[in-house]
Amino acid sequence: MADNWGFVLAAYGLAAVVLLSYWRFLARHERTQTHRARPPRARPGVSEPLAPAVSEPLAPTVSEPLAPTVSEPLAPTSGHPRSKPASRPPLQ
Amino acid sequence: MIRVVGGLALAALAAGLVMAFGVAPRETTQGNVQRIMYLHVPSVWVAYLAFAVVLVASITYLVRRLEAADRLAHASAEVGVLFTGLTIATGSIWGKPTWGTWWTWDARLTSVSILFVMYLGYLLLRGMVEDRERGARYAAVLGIVAAFNIPLVHFSVYWWRTLHQPPSLMKPGPGTMPGVIVAALLVNFAAFSLLYVYFVAKRACLLRREAEAA
Repeated sequence: MADNWGFVLAAYGLAAVVLLSYWRFLARHERTQTHRARPPRARPGVSEPLAPAVSEPLAPTVSEPLAPTVSEPLAPTSGHPRSKPASRPPLQ
Repeated sequence: MIRVVGGLALAALAAGLVMAFGVAPRETTQGNVQRIMYLHVPSVWVAYLAFAVVLVASITYLVRRLEAADRLAHASAEVGVLFTGLTIATGSIWGKPTWGTWWTWDARLTSVSILFVMYLGYLLLRGMVEDRERGARYAAVLGIVAAFNIPLVHFSVYWWRTLHQPPSLMKPGPGTMPGVIVAALLVNFAAFSLLYVYFVAKRACLLRREAEAA
């Protein structure tokens, strides 16, 4: 029977690719986890935190919606920002 | 510790390659293509081992609710699927020059494909259930049920008329293989077993870290 070295190489090559790919998958996973778990590094010379600790919430809790619901359809715009009425010069 | 096992596995794999290509003789009937056996048979051995570990870990999880047992089952199933896929692929490559076909719906080939699909489903089930505890419980039940397929795969060559040959090594009675071939096979068994331990330990460690971070 012919030796069929091509089939032997294909089998061993495939096994090498599969096993190396799985090993790389594990290594990448491990690197990602280590990177995520590491705390952010402090800048040299800065001993205090950059911002004071906030004991209260920065903004009061909003129980109502910030803007009333618009039931009418908005006027079509050209897409350009419009200046506020107060900043416009009066009409001559 | 894991790195030590990894190093040992790498050294053992190198020794296995030397045994398979340098020490073991060319087989008289099949020629050099028979050297695929040193890859194909240890792969299926690791797959059996991995799924047996899934069975034991799943029972342990259901009885004692140990998170570590669940993580071990998960890691072992993943590695088992990897090696089952490798078994099917290398068997198919070996089948072409010896049987004249890449694939046939033979009892052994079909049963091992079912085993592969079942454990692939096991891994998918884990990903599908959002509640982690419930997912682990369902997976443990499937891990126990799927293990019944292992003896079916192994004994399929005795129970049905198959193209696949019966086992030469894991069988009752005196061995018929020459000593040097058995030695080459055993070195590869050891290498693949060490690789299995390395992969499972590393994967289980990653799963533990993931659970701690969540």
